Amino acid sequence: MVEGQIIQLPLVLLLAALLLLALLSLLAVKVLKSAFVGKQTAQKEPDWSVPVVDADAEGTSLFHRWDVRFKLVALLGFAFLVVATRSPEAAMIALLLSFSTVLVAQQPVYRSLKRLLAMSGFLGMFLLVMPLTVVTHPEDILLVFSGLEFLPFNLRGLQLALAIVGKACAVALLMEPLLATASLARTVEGLTRLGVPEKVAQMILLAHRYIFVFLEEARRMKTGMQVRGFKPRTSTETLQVMGNFLGMLFVRSFERTHRVYAAMQSRGYRGRFPAPFYFKVTAGDWLHAGVWLLLGIGLLVFDRLGAA
Amino acid sequence: MHISDGVLPIGVVIGSGIASLALAAWSVRRTDSEDLPKVAVVTASFFVTSLIHVPLGPTSVHLLIPGLVGILLGPSSFLAILLGLLLQSLLFQFGGLTALGANALMMGVPALLCGLLFNKLRGSTQKQHVIVGGLVGGGGTLLSAALLALLLFSGGEDFLGVAKLALVAHLPVFLIEGLISAFTISFLYRVKPELLNQRFSALQQG
Repeated sequence: MVEGQIIQLPLVLLLAALLLLALLSLLAVKVLKSAFVGKQTAQKEPDWSVPVVDADAEGTSLFHRWDVRFKLVALLGFAFLVVATRSPEAAMIALLLSFSTVLVAQQPVYRSLKRLLAMSGFLGMFLLVMPLTVVTHPEDILLVFSGLEFLPFNLRGLQLALAIVGKACAVALLMEPLLATASLARTVEGLTRLGVPEKVAQMILLAHRYIFVFLEEARRMKTGMQVRGFKPRTSTETLQVMGNFLGMLFVRSFERTHRVYAAMQSRGYRGRFPAPFYFKVTAGDWLHAGVWLLLGIGLLVFDRLGAA
Repeated sequence: MHISDGVLPIGVVIGSGIASLALAAWSVRRTDSEDLPKVAVVTASFFVTSLIHVPLGPTSVHLLIPGLVGILLGPSSFLAILLGLLLQSLLFQFGGLTALGANALMMGVPALLCGLLFNKLRGSTQKQHVIVGGLVGGGGTLLSAALLALLLFSGGEDFLGVAKLALVAHLPVFLIEGLISAFTISFLYRVKPELLNQRFSALQQG
């Protein structure tokens, strides 16, 4: 059933390649670890109850001065155009463009790296599984290692996986410039002016607050459980304890919110936070947005023409 | 497991985005503004829960609980899940920006069905609550995994292997989620049964 162009390779080459990969990833982990450890000792134990998504909202870069509405529309549009491309080459160009936004927006690179690391498991699966499982076409190039004839390595699968990884990373790198260059309240206000219902905007702001409160609560409960000698294992007892833990988290969260909401209402909350945001559109906003959308369209055209 | 950006073909990205928007609009209309803070609570809890890992043999899995969200919120659960996923993507890059619609469908549709089923079948005894809660909680995760596989497969036959792997990887999670849902429902039934009623505002007036 295998009908692609087969290239026979000795098994030793596979072992060497695997060894090289292992060494490289080990090195990468070491470098990243030292970078992160350096960061963490610098700021000691971070306070998890304080939101950080818009930590660098103050700034003077091109992205900070950009009207949020234009920023949202342009970068979201760009992101959709990026995921519409198919070739790994287009994905790599998108990756470079996105990386340049991180630098232009003066965002700390380690936060963007953290985002990429969060996706590494899912994307790693693609890199590993796609070359081995894609359907073989007649024009495909297959690498077959002696001794492993039943497991041909399809280069087209690798290409597909690389395109996916490139696109995913490109969009992920856009996130920091998109979100961290204005306060979240301002971004959400921009969303409302773009037509998102007020209810939804309020929910985003409330839920974003609560997440950090509940994370802290969950952490406290976990410490309590550890002090009482709880060790998670693969057992029904563990699941029962976790079930009770979740239930308790829900109960506590509800009760706390009930009190907080009553307090908010007694202070005059009528379904929206007063948001004294002033939006002023300049020609530069239009120009900046236009440039990004044109870049995206250009990328898509390059992708489709290059493939043909 | 969330689908990240760049995996799905653009047609599926746009289609699932539109379907998600329509469901979210319906969900918003069905949500009383009185209930907003509570929906926000479940959204945040859903978010926190997905960071909790349960050990499973040599590795660990994180909880998804679409079923529990559905049981707690009913029609509002789609909105809660959409926003929870949005925040996960904004804060931690789980899932993705353009894949948000697909991810919301994958978790939100099971949540809506679970809420409906639980309300229909739960009866009045603790035993029945726990059994139905467990089945619904596990079933919700199973349905999520099936939708995930279906979405991955929409990329063409090349993605069949990945889709199969995703489905198989979720089988143990489905068992764990069923048991945890059952235990959580049992706890809530004993401690604060009014949380299991989906209409909060009706409850406050009574």
